Amino acid sequence: MTKKSFTLLLSSLLTLSMLSACGGNNNNEAAATKDPGASTGTNTAAATEPAAEPEKPTEIKIMLPLNTTDTPPDTIKTEVEKLTNTKLTYQFFPADTYEEKLNSSFATGSLPQVTYLKNQTTFLQMKEAIKDGQFWEIGPLLSEFPNLNKLKPEILNNTKVDGKLYTLYIGRPLARQGIIYRKDWADKLGLAAPANTEELFAMAKAFTEQDPDGNGVKDTIGVVDRNELVYGAFKTVSSWFGTPNNWAEKDGQLAPEFTFPQYFDTMDFFKNLRDGGYMNQDFAATSKTDAVNMFTSGKAGLYIGGSMQDIDSLNKDLIKNVPDAVLDTHSMVAGPDGKFAQWMIPGYNNVVLFPKSAVKDEAELKKILKFFDYMMTPEVSNLMYWGIEGTHYTVEDGKAKATDNKELIEREVKGFKDSVIGEYETNGMYQSLNVLPGRIHAEELVLENVKVGVADPTAALDSATYTSKGVELQQIITDATYKYMYGQLDKAGFEKEVESWKSRGGAQIIEEYNAAYKK
Amino acid sequence: MQEVTAQPRVVPEPKPKSYKSSSELKKRLWRNKLLYVMLIPGVLYFIIFKYLPMYGLIISFQDYKPYQGISGSEWVGMKHFSRLFTEPDFLNILGNTLILFGMNILIYFPIPIILALMLNELRGTFFKRFFQTLVYLPHFMSWVIVVSISFVMVTMDGGIINELLAYFGFSKINFLLSPGWFRPMYIIQVIWREAGWGTIIYLASIAAIDPGLYEASRMDGAGRLRQVWHITLPAIRGVIITLFILKIGSVLDLGFEHVYLLLNSMNREVAEIIDTYVYTAGLRQGQFSYSTAIGFFKSIVGLIMVMTVNKVSKKIGEEGVY
Repeated sequence: MTKKSFTLLLSSLLTLSMLSACGGNNNNEAAATKDPGASTGTNTAAATEPAAEPEKPTEIKIMLPLNTTDTPPDTIKTEVEKLTNTKLTYQFFPADTYEEKLNSSFATGSLPQVTYLKNQTTFLQMKEAIKDGQFWEIGPLLSEFPNLNKLKPEILNNTKVDGKLYTLYIGRPLARQGIIYRKDWADKLGLAAPANTEELFAMAKAFTEQDPDGNGVKDTIGVVDRNELVYGAFKTVSSWFGTPNNWAEKDGQLAPEFTFPQYFDTMDFFKNLRDGGYMNQDFAATSKTDAVNMFTSGKAGLYIGGSMQDIDSLNKDLIKNVPDAVLDTHSMVAGPDGKFAQWMIPGYNNVVLFPKSAVKDEAELKKILKFFDYMMTPEVSNLMYWGIEGTHYTVEDGKAKATDNKELIEREVKGFKDSVIGEYETNGMYQSLNVLPGRIHAEELVLENVKVGVADPTAALDSATYTSKGVELQQIITDATYKYMYGQLDKAGFEKEVESWKSRGGAQIIEEYNAAYKK
Repeated sequence: MQEVTAQPRVVPEPKPKSYKSSSELKKRLWRNKLLYVMLIPGVLYFIIFKYLPMYGLIISFQDYKPYQGISGSEWVGMKHFSRLFTEPDFLNILGNTLILFGMNILIYFPIPIILALMLNELRGTFFKRFFQTLVYLPHFMSWVIVVSISFVMVTMDGGIINELLAYFGFSKINFLLSPGWFRPMYIIQVIWREAGWGTIIYLASIAAIDPGLYEASRMDGAGRLRQVWHITLPAIRGVIITLFILKIGSVLDLGFEHVYLLLNSMNREVAEIIDTYVYTAGLRQGQFSYSTAIGFFKSIVGLIMVMTVNKVSKKIGEEGVY
């Protein structure tokens, strides 16, 4: 081996690694260059305001995450500008890397007038900056805007920081979770929708043992679950058992859910399900895709914990494999004490902030809020959520039916859809037209759920330790919960893990939440 | 670039040991100016993408807040490092990382070499190319796909391997959840995806070996195995050592994506490595300073490893990477 060929080799190695590095960078660049293209959409907004206001259009820059691959064209934007007398500049950034963009814009003081966050987690991270006075407080101004004033006070409350309101929220139904199950199997075995947790267990057992698909082979299971305690089956079932939503008062103090006996009941429930073979054995390692596949391939009969509104997509895939399958939804499962309960999310998915660095004075802030006030009218919210009537959707029975051209919606509407503030009850937009009986049932249940809904008392509370260590600490409890359900920990072992949670910072979290709670 | 190619070959110069006068150095620089010009993009690359970002390491000594920036954030000294070292799981996580690394070196590293030697022995260009492509291909699949394929194969809920075990009367094995199976699964997946790709460099260096050497050895009656042992392997020894040192340098980069996909609540005790810990403890909670401190620590361990191995390799008479 000569030295020359050796160096040649090394340099080719270097080139290779540089090439790959460049390849990686290219992607980012492509994504980055896309955005200015969107923001420089300088269309001459001939704002013809219907009312006799000769005011010149307000210029608003908006930054928001984009959940599709391409920046939407100006079709919707132009219409919105006409209706709201504004000149909008949308800066879409890919949702995957939105947090980075948010942080770097923040650090350089270049956030635009209207800044959408990405989700509740980014909101939590932004709280410190909000307390620091970097954003406009809008609470006292809301009453001046008749439409904004309709926003639900209980949800606005959940988004308050230190008791003050800085944000507008993008609403989500409070409790969409429940069971999606094989109605055809239940009918065949003569089972009704489970009224309580015992019947739920019996149903899972029957689905496993009584050959509901009638092929003569014992190849079905009851419940299919995945590696997720909150959005999988566990939390939903736990609230049926009467476990609090994350925290609840116990002896006058806020205590975490896993110190309540009902939490153990829930773990036992799943332990027994698994031991009996009535659920997928590998659920601790099963991804959502794999879990959904097991359900839609006709192997499993109960899909618990997900949004009941997913029934449409599950049904579509299931009938491809099992043409005569029938699905239905259900969520009213009573606990051992005969009571109903459903855990609720804080009611919002994302929030909008107004940075002081970009909005100079209150007059400007009011002009921007005026735009959001318009967004809370049916005309604008429908336009942004559903698109242009006749092109993107049609109205049937007072409900919106999206066009079958999914690509068109994905391309032109999706980008704006996720930015509509409020929810249909408050902004007056159309609900979607449902055909599937199970889905119609689901919509009723979503409303029923809220009636027995259990809120998280810490939703609007702050704990510094939770913000810095909460996720890491929660891992201890999550691991212990799975180990208990797999029989590797007993009650004492689980309690030891809880102790370790406390000693590593959990005790401080309890203290901090209680201090904030008493205020 | 045209000028570069039009330039007559640089006359090989005598190697002066030192430059007495600066004018002599200048002259030498000027004479090779085109070489230096060609060097610029590389140097720029390293400055912009490797050196300048090191500025950001500062935040591991601060309580960094994005809106206050690096200049405005509060200095906290070694707080984040002491948090890392006093973390009860720290030794466990470091141990897991080093064990996976050791498996990478001991089990994975020799395989591309063996594979390259085997490919090299294939006669017939068609076969050679065919198999080469076949073993490269997995490299282009993302870890998500690799892990899902193995999930489907080994799951207890109807995975083919467990069904076969059950069919032949063995009891099913919980590959996905048992801590004991995590490491074998990990290394098998690494080998399946990367081994073929790893052969490229070895094949290239094997191709550069003077065929005369083989002819001569055949005259002396050496068989295939003898040729491999006495010609091919010694010839690519330098390459092996270079790649080995580079591999050591990436000691703690075990592929976040891969391990994170295999990780679950049941195997965390063996599967949590530094990269996944950074993700749960740092990034998911926006703990930029803490994440940076961990990354910093990781890089230092890597640096120490590389320097040690490089020194050792020089001691035993090999070239090393610098």
